[in-house]
Amino acid sequence: MNEPWWIDVIKAAVIVNLLLGLFAYATLLERKLIGRMQLRYGPNRTGPFGLLQPIADLVKLIRKEHFAPATAVDALYISAPAVSAATALAAFAVIPFGEGWHVGGYDISGQIVDVPISLLLIFALGSLGIYGFIVGGWASDSKYSLLGAMRTCAQLVSYEVALAISVLGVIIMAGSLSLTEIVEQQSQSVWYAIPQVIGLAVFFIAGIAETNRPPFDLPEAETELVAGYQTEYSGMRFGLFSMAEYINMIVLSSLAVTLFFGGWLGPWAPLGPLWFFLKLLAFICVFIWLRATLPRLRYDQLMDFGWKVLLPVATINALVTAALVIAL
Amino acid sequence: MGDFVVWVVWVVAAFACLGSGAAVISFTNPFFSALALIGNLGALAVLFLLLSAEFVAAAQVLVYAGAVMVMFLFVIAYLGRRADAPWKGGPSWPALGATAAAGALLVEIVVVVGQTASGRLSDEADISRAFGDPVGIGRLFLTDHLLAFEITSIVLLAAAVGGVVLGSDVKRREELEA
Repeated sequence: MNEPWWIDVIKAAVIVNLLLGLFAYATLLERKLIGRMQLRYGPNRTGPFGLLQPIADLVKLIRKEHFAPATAVDALYISAPAVSAATALAAFAVIPFGEGWHVGGYDISGQIVDVPISLLLIFALGSLGIYGFIVGGWASDSKYSLLGAMRTCAQLVSYEVALAISVLGVIIMAGSLSLTEIVEQQSQSVWYAIPQVIGLAVFFIAGIAETNRPPFDLPEAETELVAGYQTEYSGMRFGLFSMAEYINMIVLSSLAVTLFFGGWLGPWAPLGPLWFFLKLLAFICVFIWLRATLPRLRYDQLMDFGWKVLLPVATINALVTAALVIAL
Repeated sequence: MGDFVVWVVWVVAAFACLGSGAAVISFTNPFFSALALIGNLGALAVLFLLLSAEFVAAAQVLVYAGAVMVMFLFVIAYLGRRADAPWKGGPSWPALGATAAAGALLVEIVVVVGQTASGRLSDEADISRAFGDPVGIGRLFLTDHLLAFEITSIVLLAAAVGGVVLGSDVKRREELEA
């Protein structure tokens, strides 16, 4: 039996709030972990172990004055952060975090909406999210913002290609674009991280670049561009850009967990969402670890690496996978 | 209920399509024109969704509204001056006249199509669940439309090679002149 619409609404409300909570505490986790890796404590004054720090940050951002350049294009300047944040949040709607449950006569699926082309939908929303960064940078009418927006544009377009081709191997093996079906296929064989290890490597590297995370954070390289496309933003508008970045990181980690690490499947005990969450947390920690470890790339290195290394490797991986699937 | 929602979505998407299309050619600031074109492609994708072509809709957003339009915006933002307002001055009398004439033509087309095809348009097409899914479209591309598909890829390849050749030629000439 299908789900009635009100279950979808409840699920969506719960998931969005969980996601926002996860974003808030991912910022704290990042500051704590990087602090520890650099032999500091990180935030520890607000509440026990600094646990109230994200709430203090939120109150600060909301109460701050919304300062905007006099020559900014208002409508675009204001809507750009919202576009980025909204597309990032929407992408999580199709990520399956559980097998689905049967409660009181209703079948409840393990994601907000199950569409047969969910993987394509995530990429489509991701490609729309780029506009928030570009339009925001352009509408600020500031040279640092514009340069940051240009870099975002070039970097995201370059790495989007490698990212999309790196998952082709998984799609060919599973024979589906539906994330639920990809996870179900993995429950019958091995997790795709083993046969698709090259795809995973390319996906992860391109994913870091897609989310503008260090060492690929050239769009907001503070030593060169102040803060890139978000230079002229303050208060919660800046907060929305920052939220978009973290939510994108969470969505990308979820996608990696779903495509390569069996989604909600665990080594034992059918705990569903808990396994999914643990794997997701591990991925987020790796993102943070990389930020604390690696220095930023130079711009020409970034472009060379994307087009001359990642793209050919991803293409060869897809071709070899296709040949093997047909031959065997 | 379901029909009503479909109808409302269709009206909104269709008018968004027309409105953004008019905006593309009437904005004087090219950056806004490009944004309107993105809106146009997005509205088209919604119309594709109503025709149960989910794959085409997603591909439309991913390829055209996403990748291709990003390039447009990139170039416009690079060449563009500072951020101007979308319009400069008011519309001219010829522009207003042309808009009115186009509107009259649209009404005429709607009336004629409505009179001659109203009976046929209300028939619902019988489509299977697999209609418009990636497998079906992929099969069509590699069987019925193989020639067109391959020729398109050659045209695109020629365009890419041409771009590289033109670009490198300019660079060489600059080096010679320097």
